[in-house]
Parts: sequence; structure tokens; C-alpha cells
Amino acid sequence: MSSERKPLPIVEVINLRKSYRSTEALRGISFSIGKGEIVGFLGPNGAGKSTTLRILSGLIAADSGEAKVCGVDLAEEEGEVREHIGYLAENNPLPEDFRVIEYLKYRASLKGLKGSRKRDRIKSVLGMCDLERKISERKIGNLSKGFRQRVGIADSLLAEPRLIILDEPTIGLDPRQSAITRKMMERLRGEVSFLLSSHILSEVEACCDRMIILSHGQIVAEGTLVDLQNKFIQSVAFEIVSKAKKIELQRSIRQIDPQCVLLQDDPVEITGRRRFTFTCSKGRETVELILRTLLENQSFEISEFQICRPDLETIFLKATKQNWQEMDLLGRGKSKTDKPRDGIS
Amino acid sequence: MIKGFWVILRFELFALFVSPATYVASFYFLALLGVGFRFFIESFVLTDWILPPLASLVVGLVFGAPALIPFLTMRSFAEERRLGTLETLMSAPVSNLGIVLGKWTASYLFFIFITMASFCFPLIISLWFPEQSQSLGFDKVEQWIGAFSFLLIFGASFSAVGIFASSVTNNQMVAGMLTFTLLTLYLSFMIFYFGENIEFQFFSGFAQIAWSSFGAVFGGLNKMQYFSVGIIDIPTVLYQMVVTFYFLILASTQIDQVKK
Repeated sequence: MSSERKPLPIVEVINLRKSYRSTEALRGISFSIGKGEIVGFLGPNGAGKSTTLRILSGLIAADSGEAKVCGVDLAEEEGEVREHIGYLAENNPLPEDFRVIEYLKYRASLKGLKGSRKRDRIKSVLGMCDLERKISERKIGNLSKGFRQRVGIADSLLAEPRLIILDEPTIGLDPRQSAITRKMMERLRGEVSFLLSSHILSEVEACCDRMIILSHGQIVAEGTLVDLQNKFIQSVAFEIVSKAKKIELQRSIRQIDPQCVLLQDDPVEITGRRRFTFTCSKGRETVELILRTLLENQSFEISEFQICRPDLETIFLKATKQNWQEMDLLGRGKSKTDKPRDGIS
Repeated sequence: MIKGFWVILRFELFALFVSPATYVASFYFLALLGVGFRFFIESFVLTDWILPPLASLVVGLVFGAPALIPFLTMRSFAEERRLGTLETLMSAPVSNLGIVLGKWTASYLFFIFITMASFCFPLIISLWFPEQSQSLGFDKVEQWIGAFSFLLIFGASFSAVGIFASSVTNNQMVAGMLTFTLLTLYLSFMIFYFGENIEFQFFSGFAQIAWSSFGAVFGGLNKMQYFSVGIIDIPTVLYQMVVTFYFLILASTQIDQVKK
């Protein structure tokens, strides 16, 4: 027997499936989360993120598959699993009539905290979430969205859980409040595992060790940012900020490299200029040639040009687009000559 | 099995005691009950009422329950479902039965509190007018115990009906109206069977047993004649306990449905 045994993962999900009537929300997903890892759970709306988080929190049951938290099977010991989990629900529902401190005392009691440990933990989470004394005495109904969110996070931290599940924790928060949430996760990094669902990709990129991208109930990408960059964008990516029209710019670039791909369908326009992101498979020299050619054409009015590593947003768009193409959800793949398919590949 | 019961009970009681709606409902209920009781006592000798006068207070409370119970129970699950806090509650290590029992016990204790407050009316008469109270039979302890027991067992089943009604909807008003309707129906059946012989000759075997059970539940008001003189009818206690558990289990099952 080996003396160095691999530690048990905090979360282990194998072939998890869930349907709501005729809609398949999860189509057999499998993943695991190690101790102290911060994992970002990404995906478009309706991808199955919240369903997975709710299953892992013991709020809903899966149709089939296996889900273990801290080695305990959810299907068998749902109650015990909840003792290891801190959960912040989407939209963070809270009772309006209670003061913050009263609510946290109630939640601490529900989670089995008593006496001095209860007092210490409440004091500790109030400090961790920057809910100073004046705020803790206020009624929850009178708090701003940011403070309410912090109350929800404080609640999830109360019982020193081994896994904290945060469903959209920074939704509606200003940058300062988001930074406090990130700081809190940083402080607990290595001790507690986080499973974090968010649409704010820059934030996930900044604080997560690993990302899982979900689309239509399937995992379409998984790994660290570098892994995903290598997997999805093998070629050189470059950004151009220009006043040029998309078609004209694409035509000019494709004269040099016909394989050059524009990553966005509809680049964002700010004050008349658009930021285009292309990928080129022929290497850096070709990209430099493209720049020189574009600069010669004054009508393009190029104000910025940079060779970049693709960010999470680019990877996210590419991974989900690939999944949609595979499932023929973009309505482009099926021609009249196509044979009918038996199922989704 | 009932993990979280005490914590939820304390929280719910606190919520009931800080809610202005509960106080307003209790005040009007007790005021109307007090006025009714005063007029009944005044005109008691002119009526053909065969039960002890204290039983009139019990009748008032039982028939007033469809108006009172919704105020005590409608908030419990419906409001939690509307706000989404039921999900937060269920993410804590507590059992469904613990949640249901905690909420039911809180509303039941509040009902007992109102019952005790209503018993102050005959108590005041006993203290201020001892001679009259003696002639009305208010000095007989067994009548007080019987009347209170009757209200205890019916209060339990009525509040269980209210908790169930609150668990099926996320609208407080709908929960309140459903409680009112179910309790009114329940009382209507009891009035229908009042003074009737429940044993039905059309059925035989299992059907007769089933019919007798229903009849025994709906014939609860018949037993008031025993309770009003201090005789605790154990079958009535058991039947109302069955009704209580039945509706609490239904509420628990309803909460389980949220998980699907």
C-alpha cells in the first residue's frame, strides 16, 4: 500500500442527471472539487448551474447519478451533508423583519452552534463580511442589496463548513463590495472549498483556481485558465480597436490569412469604435503583417492593436458556441441534404 | 428526526409575538367573544341551554376558530415560500418534520394563549361576583378542566389544518381563505352529525369501520356534553390526534414536493 494516499475530494459528482418534466436540466455531468479549491461554475442562463448547486446543497434530489460531499452520499445522508455545507441561494432570500444579529443567531442555532462557540462565530463572520456593529443592529428589510448579500455570505460561513456554495454571490454588488467578497474567499483559500456560480467572468478569472463551463446540462470545458486557453484557443489572438465595419475589416484580414477567425459575433461598440478579437493560426509574424497592412489603410482608423492571451469571456463564448453547434441550436448545421439524426451526439 | 424543532419553535413564536396582525386579530376575537359571553350569561336563564354556562365559551371559541386560526397559521409556510426563505431554511441541517412541527407548535401555543385569555372572562365574574358565579357553576374545577381540554384537542387539529393550508400555496391570503374554508367545512360536518347516531346501517365490514371512524371524527361536538362536566372522552382525544397528525404529515409531504 502506498503511504501517501490521495486525499478524498470534497465534492465528487458522477453522471448526475436531472429532468424537469420533459426538459433535461442535467445530462450526466461528472466533476470533482479538491480540498481548499475555489471552483467557478459558469454557463449561460438555463445551463443547469443552479440545478447542480441545489442538488449539492440537498435542496432537490437528482434523478440518477452519484453526488458525494465530504465522502458522504447525498442520496443516503442528506442531513449529514448539510452540516458540511454553507449555501448562499440565488437572489439571497432573507426575512425582512429581523435584525441582522437576530437572524445570524437564529441561523447559528439551526446549524447546531451553542454557547461561546456561537457567539465567537457570529463575531467572526460579522468581521469577515465587514458588517460592523451599526449594521448588525439594523433590520434586514432596511439594508441595501450589497449589505443583504453580505448577510447571506455571513450566514453561509457561520458553521465553519468545508464546502461553501455561492450562487451568484456578487450579483448587484458594487466593485468595492465585490472586492470584499473576493477578499473573504482569499482569506479562506486552502481551508475551505468554494463552488461559485457567476456571470461576472472577470471575477471568476480573478479568484478561481479552476473553472467548469456548463451548457445545456453538459460540461463543455473544465480546467485552469491556462488549460482552457490551450484547449480552446491554440492560435495567436489579437485585438483591434477600430472604426471600420466588420465586413471590410474581415475581408482585409482574410486576404492575408483566410483562416483568421473573428471570435465575437457582434463586437461591442463604444463611442463609434469597436473592439474586434481575431485568432490567427499562422503565428506571430502573420499577425504583425496583418497590423502593417491595416495601418496602411487610413479609413480603418485603428486606435489600438494588441496581441493578447484570450480571456475567460472569449473561452466561454467559444466553448458554449461549440456546444450549441454540436447540438444544432444555432440552426445553421442542418441542411436539406442532411440525414435525420437519431439523437444528440 | 425532528432536528431543529426547538430553534424553529422559538423563532416562530417570536415572529407571532412581534407581528401586529396577530395582536389585531386576537384583540378583535377576544372582544367579540367577551361581548357574546356577557350577553349569553345575562340571558342564560331564558334559554333552553342544557350544558353548563362555561360550555358557551367553548362553543364560541370552537366556532370562532375559522376566523382566528388563519391569522396564526397563514404566514408560516406561505410567506416563507413567497420570500424564498424556505429554501434557505431547508439548506440548514434540519428535518422537514422538525420544520412542520416547530411551526405548528408555535401557532398551537398561541391558540392556547388566546384560550387562556378567554378564560379570564368567567374568572373575572368568579372574582367580582362570587355568588352569581356559584349559581352559574363557575366554582366547579372539573368543568374548567373539561372545557380547557376540549379546546386543547380541537385547537391542535384546527391549527394543523391551518399549517397544511399554508404549505400548499405561496400566497398568505389564499392560505388564510383555504384554512377558513376547510375549518368551516369541518365544523359543518360536525354540526350535521350533532346529536345523530353515527352508526350507519347501509354499510358492512370494512366500509362500516371506515364510516364509523369518519363519523367518530365528525361527531366530536357530541362529546362536548361529557367534556363540559369534566369527563375526558379518550376516543375523542385520539380521533383529534389522528386528524392533527394526518394534516401535519400532509404538510410535511407538501414540503417534500418542493424538492422535486
